[in-house]
Amino acid sequence: MVEENLKTDQKQGGFQLMLNKKITEPWTSIGTILGQPVIDSYTFYLKKYKAKKGDIVAAEAKLPTGEGKVIDVIVWGRITEIISSNDFLPNEATKELTEENINIQDTILPLTKNDSICMVTNLGYTKNQVGEKMLLLPINYPVAPGGTIKYPAKKDLASLLNSEMNSKNPILIGKLVAREDIDVFVSADNMVSRHVLVIGMTGSGKSVATRRLMRELMHKDYPILIIDPHGDYLGIVKQAKKLFPKHVIKLFYPKISAPSNNKEVIFALIEKLGKKLTDPQYDFLNWLLDNIPYESGQNLMDYINVLIDRANTAAANKRNKSSAGMNGIGNTGATTMGVVARSLRVVQSKLKKMEKDNKENMEKFPHLKFEELPDSYSQPENIISKSQVSILYLKGYESLPSSTIVSILLENLFNHRSAGNKTIPPFFTIVEEAQNFIPSRAEGQDGYPSVETIKKISTEGRKFGVGLMIVTQRPYKLDETVCSQMNSYIILRLKNERDQRFVKNTMENWDDEVARQLPNFANGQGIVSGQITNLPLTVKIKFDADLVNSDLGDEDFINDVQNWKDTEITKKKKSFYKNFDKIFKSDQRRPN
Amino acid sequence: MKQIINNNSSLFSNFIKNSIKAPSPKVQQNFMKVTSELVEVIKKILEAEKLIFDVSYEGKKYWENAKKHKFAFVDGGAYSSFLSSSAPFAIRANTYIVKPDELLERRELFRETVKFVGNLYDPEKNLYDLDEDPYEDNQLLTKKKDAARITFETAAVARHVYENEKFEYLLLHGPLQTPIMPFSGPEFPLFKKEVIKYILPFFKKKEINDKDRHFINVYLNSINYIKKAKFNIFGIVEKTGSTIYLRNLLYRAKQKRLIDDVIFDKTISLIKRYKINDATLFELILSDCQALKPLEVEKQIPSKAWGDWEEQMNNFPKVFIGYLRTNKNQSPIRIESLNNPKKLHQDYEYILATSKLLPNYGFPAGLDVIDKAARIHSWLGKAAKGYYQKYYLNLALNSKDPTTIISALKSISDGGRKFKNRPKAGRLSINAK
Ligand SMILES: Nc1ncnc2c1ncn2[C@@H]1O[C@H](COP(=O)(O)OP(=O)(O)O)[C@@H](O)[C@H]1O
Ligand SMILES: [Mg+2]
Repeated sequence: MVEENLKTDQKQGGFQLMLNKKITEPWTSIGTILGQPVIDSYTFYLKKYKAKKGDIVAAEAKLPTGEGKVIDVIVWGRITEIISSNDFLPNEATKELTEENINIQDTILPLTKNDSICMVTNLGYTKNQVGEKMLLLPINYPVAPGGTIKYPAKKDLASLLNSEMNSKNPILIGKLVAREDIDVFVSADNMVSRHVLVIGMTGSGKSVATRRLMRELMHKDYPILIIDPHGDYLGIVKQAKKLFPKHVIKLFYPKISAPSNNKEVIFALIEKLGKKLTDPQYDFLNWLLDNIPYESGQNLMDYINVLIDRANTAAANKRNKSSAGMNGIGNTGATTMGVVARSLRVVQSKLKKMEKDNKENMEKFPHLKFEELPDSYSQPENIISKSQVSILYLKGYESLPSSTIVSILLENLFNHRSAGNKTIPPFFTIVEEAQNFIPSRAEGQDGYPSVETIKKISTEGRKFGVGLMIVTQRPYKLDETVCSQMNSYIILRLKNERDQRFVKNTMENWDDEVARQLPNFANGQGIVSGQITNLPLTVKIKFDADLVNSDLGDEDFINDVQNWKDTEITKKKKSFYKNFDKIFKSDQRRPN
Repeated sequence: MKQIINNNSSLFSNFIKNSIKAPSPKVQQNFMKVTSELVEVIKKILEAEKLIFDVSYEGKKYWENAKKHKFAFVDGGAYSSFLSSSAPFAIRANTYIVKPDELLERRELFRETVKFVGNLYDPEKNLYDLDEDPYEDNQLLTKKKDAARITFETAAVARHVYENEKFEYLLLHGPLQTPIMPFSGPEFPLFKKEVIKYILPFFKKKEINDKDRHFINVYLNSINYIKKAKFNIFGIVEKTGSTIYLRNLLYRAKQKRLIDDVIFDKTISLIKRYKINDATLFELILSDCQALKPLEVEKQIPSKAWGDWEEQMNNFPKVFIGYLRTNKNQSPIRIESLNNPKKLHQDYEYILATSKLLPNYGFPAGLDVIDKAARIHSWLGKAAKGYYQKYYLNLALNSKDPTTIISALKSISDGGRKFKNRPKAGRLSINAK
């Protein structure tokens, strides 16, 4: 009996089944299940330092099958919390150590007897046959107290996370935060056919993550369209020759034009950008729009010029009491017409200014070649094509015209796909700063035609091979319908509470524990979840330094100031000011 | 002196105990008077005999020098709480071994040095033919538990000696030798054979006879074995109502003719009547970091034993007992060893330094550590209890011994009364801190 006692002491618990020949490396036992496990979770007693928060661990278990049989399985779970205490280190000892300036390491006090209790949230189970495809299935029975917890070997864990994804095209996104020896892949198949939401505060690594996935898609020659308001993606152009020699990378600046069947969008923009009009003025504007045909693909600027001309002519005619070409506006006064003409000039100058800003921004990259965005209605193949990346650089444009531009572009491309006429292949769209394109109703959607377009793509795009990646730092400001259509998520650091709440409300299977991590993520750390992955995973996204747009860099204001030179105008202005100042000081006279 | 007594917690509580029995203020006054007068004379004797000495303490310096050594601390624990009846069901003695300057991974070892699950005692055999008595009285049960604990603690120490450990010091929580008289009665059972092999690995006798299996012989064998240890072993006793030092001091004084027989007898009687003990008295004599040199004392009094144990009692080694005051607030701790400490100052410096790590409790910190470790992990709560129950049930099942298994099953099924009423191991909650 004593021998039995001693033998049991040395016996390693369980997992006999696991130790079959398919396992290459042994799994280390790291603890014992405690208390009363429930189906979704359990606690276990951890051997010191054998695991850490976020780790994925395995428990042996038995599950009942439908037919009254019991099968051996491995239950996979994630450590969500570790409560550690050195209960053997008496508190009052610290007092003496402090007062006597004793180094605790020199004393007999225990330092390593940290007893830790881990909380584990179950992920699912696999049949106890590692090496085969590990399909993660839902658990229907709790693990048993006293069972052994094991730390799975790298290879087996990696195969659980990735191979089972059922993806023909897994693409590397990064590594597990908890175990940097394990690569994490996402399913490219699910990514391009479904929709991914990338969220995180500024600087959290959204663009880095997006570029990472984009790069992998490029390797698969997948056509990509990027709506890039800030130029985060221009870096790829510089590297293109070296990294993607056979790819075509096009940089576009916007041209505002629409097919005639979608001219309403253009009209709405004219209306929204102009002055606020009274009813008669509005009637006159409508009369102009009705009477001056908008040609398919016509540049909005040109069209506005015609509108202005026509308004001016009409006003002149009115004053001259001429009625030529004045059908339907007989009662409109010249002043009204003049106001409309002025409003159109306002629209014109606003658009000109944006065009100019955009141009100036492009000039910051003298080595890059920007082209005018081709007409997406008549020449979609110039935008979407195999092995091509098209980047629409919107910097300088305000959100309303940006929304219009994006709406028209995506609407046309989507129509080409849904028509099924094979003009363009399936493609993937990345929308950066998405809060500008799909604001929520509370934010005001009026005049943002891109909301409807993106809504349509998010609900129907899957059928037609139009994939969407929505990138934003303000998820709670996004349109609710679009969000609800997102089925994969990359969630980076989020500090704002409303954003965190948004995440909680949007995602299923979301536990508070994960939410608590969000504000503490480092750059590039985040949660990948949804259909692009097997299990929700906390990942350190791989950083492709070579894809960073180095021209953009961080603002270096200190350097700017140090190299600051007043312009000639400023210099003169300053010297004039001195003169004027003298004069005003000498001025003794009171104003009457 | 009254002031000292009043400020003195343990003496004061002793005083209260006395006053409860004799609540008159007069008696209280008298108690204080007697005590302070006794303090004065005992102090004089101690000084005359040069038994009081100062122990130096410089925490930082001490540990910087001591960190290169390996230290051990031993304590036992019994899981009798699982039991509704019968002798210890699970018992163990654990050791905390630490070498402070070692790499963190190897610095500390918590070892379940000896452990046993099941019935330690042989239900079939007894040294004496007794009338069959199916009802064990409580006293016997307690004795069986005590004997088991004492045996296992000593066995843990013996195992370290047996394994030739190179400790600088091993401290045991509790006395290093216990009077065996209470276990000498005819009803006291024998240990099972396997138990002997397990706890006395050094025991070379081929045939283990019945007498060898009696606690007194097992204990005697262990004690004599650990006396030969190459490292220093001390038993540390914190709370004690013992008067052993005092009595031996007076006896020694009598032998040296410092006091006469009449005074000796009177004082011994007075100590009894006034319930004065070593701890309370020496608390008034020793100041912080002062100690009493060990006296060599005999713990076994053969004349009091039942049965035929005189020879064994005489074979027990004498014990060296000293006292050390480890802080201002607590009574001194008793220090026992089987050999006369060769480097007394050094040894007491070590015990003082480990005790100073618990500045309020004033008890060797390593013993506090192993005390917690050896006990059932109550801090783990009910969850752990469930775990340990399962663990011990497994051990019991592996033992294939029906009595053990049944008692294990009983123990986990709510006192054995309602078998279907399975124990509820609590769920651990994070919030319940
Ligand atoms: N996965 C990552 N690994 C290392 N550094 C990263 C990672 N992601 C982001 N960073 C750092 O943070 C900076 C900002 O990342 P970026 O993707 O531009 O943020 P966002 O688009 O969310 O504003 C990067 O320039 C880089 O220095
Ligand atoms: Mg960005």
